[in-house]
Amino acid sequence: MTVVPRWTSSRVVGRMALGTAAGVSLAYILLPMFFVIWLAFFAQEIPSFPPEGYSLKWFRAVPGNDRFVKGFFLSLQVAVLATSIGLAIGVPAAVCLVRGRFAGREAVNNLLLLPLIVPGIVLGIALYVFHVETEIVTGWPILGSLGGLVAGHVLIAIPWTVRLITASLVGMDRAVEEAAQSLGADRLTTFRRITLPGILPGIVAAALFGFIASFGNLEMSLFLVGPGRTTLPIAILQYLEWKIDPTIAAVSVLQILFIGGAMLLTDRFVKIGRVV
Amino acid sequence: MATTAAAQFQSDEKPTSVLSATTLIGPATVFVVAGLLLPLAILFRYSFDKVDARRIMIDTFSFDNYVKFFSDPYYTGVLATTLRVAALCTVICLAMGLPLAYVLARTQSRYKNVLIMLVVLPLFVGNAVRAAGWMTLFGSKGFLNVTLMQIGIITQPLQIMFTEGAVIAGIIAVNLPYMVLTLSSVIEGINRNVEEAAFSLGAGPATMFRRVLLPLSLPGILAGTILTFILGMNAYATPVLLGGPKFKMMAPLVYGQFQLNNWPFGASVAFVLMTATLGLTAAANILIQRRFRR
Repeated sequence: MTVVPRWTSSRVVGRMALGTAAGVSLAYILLPMFFVIWLAFFAQEIPSFPPEGYSLKWFRAVPGNDRFVKGFFLSLQVAVLATSIGLAIGVPAAVCLVRGRFAGREAVNNLLLLPLIVPGIVLGIALYVFHVETEIVTGWPILGSLGGLVAGHVLIAIPWTVRLITASLVGMDRAVEEAAQSLGADRLTTFRRITLPGILPGIVAAALFGFIASFGNLEMSLFLVGPGRTTLPIAILQYLEWKIDPTIAAVSVLQILFIGGAMLLTDRFVKIGRVV
Repeated sequence: MATTAAAQFQSDEKPTSVLSATTLIGPATVFVVAGLLLPLAILFRYSFDKVDARRIMIDTFSFDNYVKFFSDPYYTGVLATTLRVAALCTVICLAMGLPLAYVLARTQSRYKNVLIMLVVLPLFVGNAVRAAGWMTLFGSKGFLNVTLMQIGIITQPLQIMFTEGAVIAGIIAVNLPYMVLTLSSVIEGINRNVEEAAFSLGAGPATMFRRVLLPLSLPGILAGTILTFILGMNAYATPVLLGGPKFKMMAPLVYGQFQLNNWPFGASVAFVLMTATLGLTAAANILIQRRFRR
């Protein structure tokens, strides 16, 4: 039975106040992005208002800017590698966490989600000193290497994978797997033919979230990049520490478009609202 | 094997064999232990070492770094600033986040998913990009100053950039989506009929909120508050870009110490930061839960 709403005048006023407050909050969240996008189209270089005119020249100049182009491709490379490795070791772990029965399951689950909780800066310096110590002991040149950077980003991809795959496995009816097994399928066949297709949206979501989290990571990466090897968010930060102008705004707009595109793609496989 | 067999039958489901569990979960676990716990342990050990001009570091065991931190008013001042900024941002985020979270949770609109994506997109775009937006807004010839001068409220541009206010404004925008998402997922789980029941029994919206929605969404409020506070404490890009070189919070301080090659002190600052954050959240957790039970 549903309760029939009672519409008193105080409820109407309350609703309007609520809508306004919600609108203000949403606008506040979007405000900085709005101004970055606006600045990217300014004709003049100095970010002064009102703009003297509008131009697309800053966007045309981006492909010629070596620092950002290289940063973009490094970020892309690291994110793809880290997400792939994160999936390869994260998906089996999540399957085992949900379907398996063993002691310490809760503890392992918390451990695998831990990299999301440790502050980025602390994670970064911890990895930095770890790389230094490893280099002293083994002589491998890890410090500032691509491998070290990717390994750090795998740490970020793992919790996203575990979280999303776990969620999609919990939502899947176990009876289907049991039916397959009672019809004679072995565990591997059951996984390949039943479980895997069932959690495919979750895997896609995990891949894209891991990718986005890695691509945008700033704090941890600060400690792991080497000379001449800078990710896009760090290149943006370093430029902004120096100055703000439409060049960096145009780069930011391209980053917004890229991340936004990845999110729209994710949304086709799994509703964003259900996983964040 | 006999003991494990006995243990196995305590569970009604067939336990996973140790071998297959290890192969499935082992790689990820080993990776996180070796890639996170071990480095944290090494960093913790570093925080008791000493720095030396010639050799960078001396192996020793002393609390000197922690003593140095807490006896120097500059460093305790940085900690105080960080706590103040994080606390203020958390309170404002809670106040701003509740209405938006409620609307997101209760809306029947077909654009609900679009709204959620608008909240999530800034999260993933990164803090540096959003700081760039605030810089456009806050500069001496920025939108805010020019607008205020045009409508005649001020005659001279205000110094907004490189102030604590700018940093707080920036961190609120960074943390608000986290608060909204946490709150709305909890509010979505509260049966709407409970609210209607309150209204039909004569409660106004304020009373309904105070007596029904607030107590029921308290776990979400607690989770959102803790998350926002942790993020505020550990903010890096926003204080660096909007606060400038003179304004110091803990995360930029940690980075700065490593830039100066004082690793042991940087490590101890990192652990002061982690301990302060986790300690305060644990305390808040206990305090609120105890009060709520009464």
